[in-house]
Amino acid sequence: MAISRATKTPATRLSRWWAEVGWKYPLALLVFFYAASPLVYVVSASLAQRGTLAGTARLFASISPNNYENLNNTAFWSWVVNTLIIGGSTAFGAVLMGAAAAYAFSRFRFRGRRTSLTSLLIIQMFPQTVAFVAVFLLLISLGRVTPLLGINSTVALICVYLGGALGANTFLMFGFFNSIPKEIDESAKIDGATHAQIFWKIIMPLVTPVLAVVGLLAFIGVFGDFILARIILTSEHNWTLAVGMYQWVSAELSANWGLFAAGAVVASLPVLVLFLALQKYIVGGLTAGSVKG
Amino acid sequence: MRNTIAWGAAVVASALILSACGGGTAEPTSTDAGPGVDNSGIELTIWVDANREPAVAAAAQLFEAETGATVVLVQKNFEDLRTDFIAQVPTGEGPDITIGAHDWTGAFVTAGVVNTVDIGDKAADFEQVALDAFSYDGQLYGLPYALETIALIQNVDLVGTDAPATFEDMIATGLAAGTDRPFVINVGAGGDGYTSYGFQTSFGAPVFVQEADGSYTSEVGMGGPDGVAFATWLSENGMAGNGYFSTDVDYDINQSLFSEGAAPYTIQGPWAIGTYTDAGVNVAVNPIPSAGGGTAAPFVGVQGFYVSSQSQNTLLANEFLITYIATEEAQRALYDADPRIPAYIAVAEQVASDPIVAGFIASAQNGVPMPSIPEMGSVWDFWNAAEAAIVSGADPESTWLQMIADLEAAIS
Amino acid sequence: MSVRPSHATTGAGRPSPAGEPHSRQWRGLGIGFLIKLLLMGIVNALGVAVVLAAWASESWAILGAMVVIVVVVDWIYFSKRALPLKYLTPGLIFLAIFQLFTMAYTGYVAFTNYGTGHAGSQTQAVDALLIQNERRLETSPSFVLSIVRDGDELGFAIVVDGAVRVGSPESPLTEAPDAEVDQAGRVVSLPDWEVVSRAELLSDRGLQQAVVDLRVPVSDEPEDGSIRTREGSTGAIYRSVLEWDPDAQTMTNVDTGTVYSVTDRGRFEAPDGTQLPVGWYVTVGFENFTRAVTDSNYSTPLLRVAGWTFAFAILTVLSSFILGLILAIVYNDPRVRGRKFIRTLFILPYAFPAFMSGLLWRGMLNPEYGIINEFFFMDAYIPWLSDPWLAKFAILYVNLWLSYPYWFLVCTGALQALPTETMEAARIDGAGRWRTFRSVTMPLITVSTAPLAIASFAFNFNNFTLIYFLTEGRPRFTDTSAPLGHTDILISAIYQISGVAGGRADYGLASALSIIVFIVVGAISALAFRQTRKLEEMN
Repeated sequence: MAISRATKTPATRLSRWWAEVGWKYPLALLVFFYAASPLVYVVSASLAQRGTLAGTARLFASISPNNYENLNNTAFWSWVVNTLIIGGSTAFGAVLMGAAAAYAFSRFRFRGRRTSLTSLLIIQMFPQTVAFVAVFLLLISLGRVTPLLGINSTVALICVYLGGALGANTFLMFGFFNSIPKEIDESAKIDGATHAQIFWKIIMPLVTPVLAVVGLLAFIGVFGDFILARIILTSEHNWTLAVGMYQWVSAELSANWGLFAAGAVVASLPVLVLFLALQKYIVGGLTAGSVKG
Repeated sequence: MRNTIAWGAAVVASALILSACGGGTAEPTSTDAGPGVDNSGIELTIWVDANREPAVAAAAQLFEAETGATVVLVQKNFEDLRTDFIAQVPTGEGPDITIGAHDWTGAFVTAGVVNTVDIGDKAADFEQVALDAFSYDGQLYGLPYALETIALIQNVDLVGTDAPATFEDMIATGLAAGTDRPFVINVGAGGDGYTSYGFQTSFGAPVFVQEADGSYTSEVGMGGPDGVAFATWLSENGMAGNGYFSTDVDYDINQSLFSEGAAPYTIQGPWAIGTYTDAGVNVAVNPIPSAGGGTAAPFVGVQGFYVSSQSQNTLLANEFLITYIATEEAQRALYDADPRIPAYIAVAEQVASDPIVAGFIASAQNGVPMPSIPEMGSVWDFWNAAEAAIVSGADPESTWLQMIADLEAAIS
Repeated sequence: MSVRPSHATTGAGRPSPAGEPHSRQWRGLGIGFLIKLLLMGIVNALGVAVVLAAWASESWAILGAMVVIVVVVDWIYFSKRALPLKYLTPGLIFLAIFQLFTMAYTGYVAFTNYGTGHAGSQTQAVDALLIQNERRLETSPSFVLSIVRDGDELGFAIVVDGAVRVGSPESPLTEAPDAEVDQAGRVVSLPDWEVVSRAELLSDRGLQQAVVDLRVPVSDEPEDGSIRTREGSTGAIYRSVLEWDPDAQTMTNVDTGTVYSVTDRGRFEAPDGTQLPVGWYVTVGFENFTRAVTDSNYSTPLLRVAGWTFAFAILTVLSSFILGLILAIVYNDPRVRGRKFIRTLFILPYAFPAFMSGLLWRGMLNPEYGIINEFFFMDAYIPWLSDPWLAKFAILYVNLWLSYPYWFLVCTGALQALPTETMEAARIDGAGRWRTFRSVTMPLITVSTAPLAIASFAFNFNNFTLIYFLTEGRPRFTDTSAPLGHTDILISAIYQISGVAGGRADYGLASALSIIVFIVVGAISALAFRQTRKLEEMN
């Protein structure tokens, strides 16, 4: 605690303030510069008149809404909608399944509890890049039974993502669940509450921060996934942002840097909004519980 | 160069064939399957890339109206079509038809994913070279629609319309123009053997040795002193030398430098012209100048349609291609959607009056067909990487010879 | 120790269950049970629907799996036992279908030679070879063709030199003198045969397939070939060069008499060693695994790639952890004003999707035209992505930018969750700031973040997106023929080898490598978990 004594002069107080607190503001400015400069560049590139990389090296050399207008000539908005639907559903499913699993691991004692928790985490480490052959064949067989789960179905893609819903999510939540004192549910149990009632009515409201965090992480994961989405969603109007926007800059014969930048600015908005909306939970949710594994 | 003559002769001969042949005897009468046909359950899936989607969609609309079948167009990156077709056709999930480049034929045949095509008497409507390009071991595997090649594109306001005869002439004129660079070419971080191939062949170093009839053997032809001479030249003009070739220049940057007038010459294909004219550059198209003394022979690629060997709609697929795509209107629409040299003779003649198209045709007459043997698939990786390495300053001779050795090991 | 997270006490607006009066009524069989019944009803209905659909489409494996799932789910949710499973099952079902199955299948592919030249089944290869070797006779003209039918039997009618000829697979072409031909030269009616209208042909997929497969011999001599059509309105004479004998499993070239028999590598081979071009995939045992280890074309570069993979995964976790921790400590200071605002600004990169960041930085790092050199290095020429060491540095730098916000958030959370009693006790004991940090804060934070660090390590070990979008593994190794580069990590190397990106595909080898990588990462992570568990206070 900084306790200033009456004997100190204002000058020493200032230098003390500077040494203890003040320097943190310029540092914050520096970090902000590091964090934001690429983003400033994207905004500048998205506003550039001509959509080429070499033409955007000078920041805000020209301001034009061209690139944003051109987004309307592409399937960009349907990609946004797809991404939001797929991301939202996956986040919702991942939160529910993860929370249920974490509850089981946290509150019940059963054989192989630790081992299964670790196995869940380790299974997630399987490199998916080559598994696309298997994913593809699986969805073809499922698609013959019900097209809803076949290739080019967003439902199928959501299911594939949900296949990875346990694992790291469960682990993150597990720690948090453990931090909720057992006495709370024990007293409810004495009052005659069932395990389901304890889960839904007592635990879930208490763990909201970690639910928000897991939901956000799942959403960001879907947002950034490229390989699975590219393999499963074959038709253009079903694409996600990652698949569609990659095409703008990867295609050998197209120079769409400006379009990409404009798309990137628009696409990062939902994530940013989510971040800001959930911010009060995020800091508390990420590790608060894992102190007690 | 044998091939040059063959290609040139073919383009000229095509005009004669056109006048001699007034159309096929077998006139398919698809119209008698009027709109009353209940064919709604049948779907024909076609893979296209973004450029050609509108044109194929137009042809598909007519086909749908007349046959009642539904055409599903699936849009993909052109680069992904080849691998996806090979991977997905055996699973039964592939398309009935895909757009593709002729040099995929060998890989498709080896993978067993492609059906033969027989366009019968309509063959006379197409450039023979285009049909030859899609032929493999005597069978036709694709319906061609366009030829494509790259050429020297120059900024008329800076260097006029005259074609430079040699690389040195071009550089001299380019330097005199006083721009940032006398000449700009796409190399990119990964290398681009395709774009530089004209210079390479002018040193007499083709990728694969050709037989007398123009077909390729699997013997690598770019080793030896000619290949090393090219590599050395590349190094001299690379980033350790005078810097005309740079791995920092990728397609995007190449486009913007030329559009801004920062370089008066570049080597590009017809697909790039739109960007230049949009930027207000006055362009002329000429054959690629020689760097090593021989004719600069760029690759000529042919684009067309393949039918899947596992298609459940083989009859409709053929009907679509032969009756609805192999027509002048459809071919013209394809040209309008994606302006490459038409493979359909009548359309080629319509558009040849355009000086830009004529420039590309002139360049194609110098060109050689891109090999369609399956070994070509292995070449790009090694070849492009070696080019990028040499341009960025690696020792030309050892890098090049190492690449040849690796390539020979990979395809043996 | 029992740590309550800060939010639990500050959970704004939420009724605190701990404060509920004990007299609260918990109804036993209430709405909850009804909801359960409803949900189980839906699950069962969906399950039965899938079972029926699987029955209809003869997908026996899916049918079996679905029956098992429905039975198991019903048992779990209606029995009094298996309490933990009631909570685990939904996730586990998805895990089993979409994760474990794909792993097992990849395991199977690892034992095959699936790849270029071996892309399908033997039946498909035979089909393809027969298609490729049925050739149109060079002398054959194109005929105007009609499809004719006699009961179930299909045939073709063509006009040759003004005379109508008709035939079926059983009876070669013969003249049909009483046929009627329209102006276009097409047969419109025939005695004994019904002419199939084009409308009917186009609307009947089964008929189309039959027509495409139909071959009408020109004469009794097989040498003369047979008529076939592709689109149902023109025909030509074709001849098959290859003959398939399914009993002997051989292909015979009828012109040369060469017999090609099946090899155990999934190819047709003649006695002289020549092979037919199309093959199929077969199991090859451990060959892919031994190749990954012994073939010096792969093993040497892969070892280097593995080295960089470990270095990258460790360094990237360390650097972003340290930066995140420092920032968290510095700004976890109540005297700093606007902390909420500062935090929001700090985590901006995290809100930017990873694949976009890779592409964005790739453009920014272009040595000649990118903004980094232009702006920060006064237009100096620094080949960020083409020099092996600089490229590695660039990757670490970009990933630091991408992932420090995560650690900043995690560490802030961990700091706020530190037991205040412990901290105060340390302070009262007279420990200095540095000492408190070293002996109290740091160990506590390490323990609480270790599982996340391991997860982060594993994630970065397989961080394909970053590498693929930023460098694609470049610059390439110059001293090996494998298409790999200095910045490739194992996962991107596998992708390259799998041939998805072009070139020669070798899914078998790529799958084998995936399995190996998985075992390595899994084992390391399992060991690391065991270590952290020792550090933790176990219940």
